[in-house]
Amino acid sequence: MRKHVLVRSGAATLVAMLIVLAAPVGLRGQAPSRAEVAEAARKASPHSSEEAMAYWKAEVARRLAEAPGRVYDPRKPAMANPPKTPWGAPDLRGYYLTAMYTPLERPEKVTKQFYTPEEAVSAFTFATTSDAGVDPATVHYDWKEFGMDAWQSPVRPNLRTGLITDTPDGKIPALTPEAQKRRAEAAAQRRQRDPQTGVQIFGNLYTRCVLGGGAAPLIDGGAPGSDSAAGAGGVTTEMQIFQTPDYVVLVQQRNTDVRIIPLNGRPRLPQSVRQWYGNSSGRWEGNTLVVQTTSFNDPAPATHFQGATDALQLTERFTIVDANTLRYEYTVSDPKTWTRPWSVEAPLPRIPPPLYEFACHEQNYGLINLVMGAQIRATEGRLDPRDPRVATPTDGGR
Amino acid sequence: MQIRLKSAAMAAVAAGTLSLAVIPIAGQAPSPAGLTPSTAGVARMDGKPNLNGIWQAFTTANWDILAHEAQAGPRPALMGVYGAQPGGMGIVEGNELPYRPEALEKKKRNFENRMTVKVANDPSRYDSGDPELQCYRPGVPRANYMPFPFQIFQNREQIMIVYEYKWSVRWIYMDVKSEAPVDSWMGWSNGRWDGDTLVVDVTGMNEYTWFDRAGNFHSDAMRVTERWTPSGPNYLLYEATIDDPKVFTRPWKMSFPIYRRLEPNLQLVEFNCVPFVEEMMYDPLGLYRPGPRKAK
Repeated sequence: MRKHVLVRSGAATLVAMLIVLAAPVGLRGQAPSRAEVAEAARKASPHSSEEAMAYWKAEVARRLAEAPGRVYDPRKPAMANPPKTPWGAPDLRGYYLTAMYTPLERPEKVTKQFYTPEEAVSAFTFATTSDAGVDPATVHYDWKEFGMDAWQSPVRPNLRTGLITDTPDGKIPALTPEAQKRRAEAAAQRRQRDPQTGVQIFGNLYTRCVLGGGAAPLIDGGAPGSDSAAGAGGVTTEMQIFQTPDYVVLVQQRNTDVRIIPLNGRPRLPQSVRQWYGNSSGRWEGNTLVVQTTSFNDPAPATHFQGATDALQLTERFTIVDANTLRYEYTVSDPKTWTRPWSVEAPLPRIPPPLYEFACHEQNYGLINLVMGAQIRATEGRLDPRDPRVATPTDGGR
Repeated sequence: MQIRLKSAAMAAVAAGTLSLAVIPIAGQAPSPAGLTPSTAGVARMDGKPNLNGIWQAFTTANWDILAHEAQAGPRPALMGVYGAQPGGMGIVEGNELPYRPEALEKKKRNFENRMTVKVANDPSRYDSGDPELQCYRPGVPRANYMPFPFQIFQNREQIMIVYEYKWSVRWIYMDVKSEAPVDSWMGWSNGRWDGDTLVVDVTGMNEYTWFDRAGNFHSDAMRVTERWTPSGPNYLLYEATIDDPKVFTRPWKMSFPIYRRLEPNLQLVEFNCVPFVEEMMYDPLGLYRPGPRKAK
């Protein structure tokens, strides 16, 4: 198990070694320049950029040859007789990946809802290759490094051009006037950065380790990129479904966040009790698990999923499509945020166990480092603290 | 998570296990009076005890696992009775912890520094006060006697425990036994049924969690052997043997009852404590600026 998970491939080993070797350079405190750090990382790397690139290109070529056979067709009906638990419920138990390259919103210049299989492979190839980094100087621990997870994980090309299913243009519906005002105020607040550090942290639930991502739903935007704080399919998007006759429990590896979903109509929390993950209840509709969630808290100054408020209402549907795929659909509404409800459909591929504990707050060096780094830079006067480069890379804007 | 080669540590643990069998556990004391395990009325599922439900221990052990008297809290001028510590009998059999001499000194320092918070970007941050104070995961066995309920989810093949405190999770692997791949805060749990007793072998815990607010502690060599014995429909006897040769001269044992919560409308309520400690942890660095909040 250890070999399987921790040493997934030669590329993974390379990543791990680079992290270890590069770390002391960044922590020395004499604030070496970015160029110096990058050069030190390249020197410390056991492989050159060219070697990494060659490895990665070969992997991509190999996987591309398989891609046409892996295209997900959302119009294919779900299997009629999915596997059942010993107590007779559809058996959703297992581990799934919630990352994907299909964007949440239909891309610009695309006017149709579905690609042909060839177009789907082409869009997927473009997204994965443009997203991968192979320079040891910028290596990081997220899923896109070397493009390896895009190709070695079961993430698949999707015939859908975007994940949103029920708006005419495939985009998120128009914001209400109230939400437009809120968004403008948040943007203005982000511009009023602390003159010393230039970083605004406390609007960002991910950086604070309050939540592993957006609270709910599971798919928080399928746009490529590693900026999980900004809602992209970022780091550690593994998820587990645990079932008993009376409960479904969703565990997300990011932050090891847990959602406990009672079945069988257990009493719900009073409306006055609000939670980060809201209050859920589930039921079976045929072979589909339907989960309704309300009572999200007011996370100000952060926001919930895609700018939503405590008025967010979420309905999720989980259906086994085939032996290796769970269809995940959701509908969100928030009258304080959007002018109409909207819906998403996405495939969640099965992955092998286990999940690992993600002790985010316990070792939240990132939060300290990014502020200390900004303070050092500001003090040294290398950048004016109002320079957008100080804040932009670390401020996901949530 | 610390990623490290653990073969040496595992060898040490294995050696500890061998010795465990022959070392008598001192004192059979406070096995809770009247709690003679009885399987009568135990709910069952597929022939095994059905532990599904919300459970909670009612002890004062989170303050001190040894017997202790009531006392004022650390900041009585600020907290009054809210911060005060109730007295209690403790949960350690024989009421004695066999610390090695240098470890006993560290326990005392821990207590003196229990409210210390170090915010550093390296592991020196863990050489500080009680992890609970800082909203860190509590580890095993402490999670089982913190003053919060926890929920056991069980099906034929799997058991998972979710603790209300910080939504800390333990997966108890019943089918395939595996070695902890990395150290973690809640450890790596392999379980099996011994008759009607769920026996869980917990390893792979880091050295940063404590047993209580009194500063009792362990190392990353700790192995915890838990025995969860259902005793009637609504309580179980919990026993944990702690084997940590780096800190203690012999294995020792704790035991206490854990009760099923019976309120029909009960559910775990999120205790996401990160926002509760940000001011304490980050304000000294000038980091804490939560922004404008709406009045409730």
